[in-house]
Amino acid sequence: MNIDKVMSIDAAMAHVTPGARVMMGEFVGAGEPAKCIEWLLAHRIDRLTLIANTSGLRGDFLMGKLFAAGLIEEYIGTHGATSNEASDAYLSGKLKVRQFFPMGTWAEKVRAGGHGLGGALVPVGVGILDQEGLFPDLEEPKRTIEIRGKTYLVEEALTADVSIIRGYRADPLGNVEFRYMATQNQKDLAMAGKFTIAEVNEIVPVGAIPPERVGCPGPFVNAVVQGYSLADQHTLYRDHWIKLGRLPKLPEGETP
Amino acid sequence: MSHLHGQDPRVVIARRCARELRAGEVVNLGIGIPTMTANYLPPGVQVIFHSENGCFGFGPKPGTLEADSDVSNASTEPVTLMPGAAIMDLTTSLGAMRNGYIATSVLGGLEVDQEGNLANWASKRNGKWWPGIGGAMDLCYGVPRIIAALQHTDKHGHSKVKKRTHLPLTGKGCVKVIVTDHAVFDVTPEGLVLREAYPGLTVENIRAVTEADFTVSPNFGPMDI
Repeated sequence: MNIDKVMSIDAAMAHVTPGARVMMGEFVGAGEPAKCIEWLLAHRIDRLTLIANTSGLRGDFLMGKLFAAGLIEEYIGTHGATSNEASDAYLSGKLKVRQFFPMGTWAEKVRAGGHGLGGALVPVGVGILDQEGLFPDLEEPKRTIEIRGKTYLVEEALTADVSIIRGYRADPLGNVEFRYMATQNQKDLAMAGKFTIAEVNEIVPVGAIPPERVGCPGPFVNAVVQGYSLADQHTLYRDHWIKLGRLPKLPEGETP
Repeated sequence: MSHLHGQDPRVVIARRCARELRAGEVVNLGIGIPTMTANYLPPGVQVIFHSENGCFGFGPKPGTLEADSDVSNASTEPVTLMPGAAIMDLTTSLGAMRNGYIATSVLGGLEVDQEGNLANWASKRNGKWWPGIGGAMDLCYGVPRIIAALQHTDKHGHSKVKKRTHLPLTGKGCVKVIVTDHAVFDVTPEGLVLREAYPGLTVENIRAVTEADFTVSPNFGPMDI
């Protein structure tokens, strides 16, 4: 039987249950799996632990809406206020954040989780992030280790029940191609999830993606789902950029 | 009445920061005032802009219909890619920041002090540290030349250029140059050295608004702006 990982969003997202630990590809709103986020909002899957680089883009946009809807219990990432929704949830005590990580540290924790390592040794933040009392919700103080006279923080690997990434094209084998700055660490996130869903702009036949353009090999992916087409995704982002004043409005009658 | 006579202090800082960038170097601009620096590069100075979301060589904002949803900067503002741009994944991009591949970074700040310590990721809100770190700490750790770009005083008139920072640090001893709407300081092993003051301001004017100790450079002069 041929391998075919293409499935409906309903079938793929059934793996996300209340209380699950979910990783999501994104960078301040860019490269987010829009359709899967809409599914979570529609089905109100709650008590989630969200592992994501930032807390989304402000102004009622994609991942940020998960915080406003109260679906996220805990956030593990680098920044609690790239979206106003996450910021509000955090400051009002509805969102738990035990600590913030420097972005490179967070990315290495995910990579370690995906690559079968126990963690990463990181020099960034030594003497700052390990100061007593800085993060009172930590279960134990941050550990340090000395190697050849230099001190590193011991940062444990991160893994997830489900990883949801967003690519450009994918084939039924699960091979995913990325575009530009949406490449991010989507591949590492895919490797760190027990069940990984790739939402893509376009599903193409096996062989359509040149092997050297495969950014995330099929064996790291369990489900391929159809997201917004690239044209519709451009419209979604252009509309939001216009709303935020980051792009000029178009003349009457023209659509982005 | 402000010494700037109605000019936007953020524009003054961004314009002055742009003159600190050196032709040919790789530069990362933080969010806010630092991002504006790109608009004021002196003619003929070509630098390669790095963006932590995974790019060397991004360019100006596109038109609305040219904006690509997968081509944006670290604040997710639409950008373009210059000829010769290079895309990389996130761990590579952050690794480049940690390991010295970015020559200069311009970063905003809540506080900076006379030892070159920078605090810009956290203040206390509702008893919690807010808003978060992002890529700033990786830059402070690994970039040899950090330029702190910030307004000289807060809204209450208190100096943000301190003897000692009180907020959680982003980087220790990382700042090499401080650019404010009043002055330019070099951070040296002997302490802060006042290099320039905004045109019309005297050394005494700068002392009056600066908590930090500083000496005056033999080459002290009006801000090159």
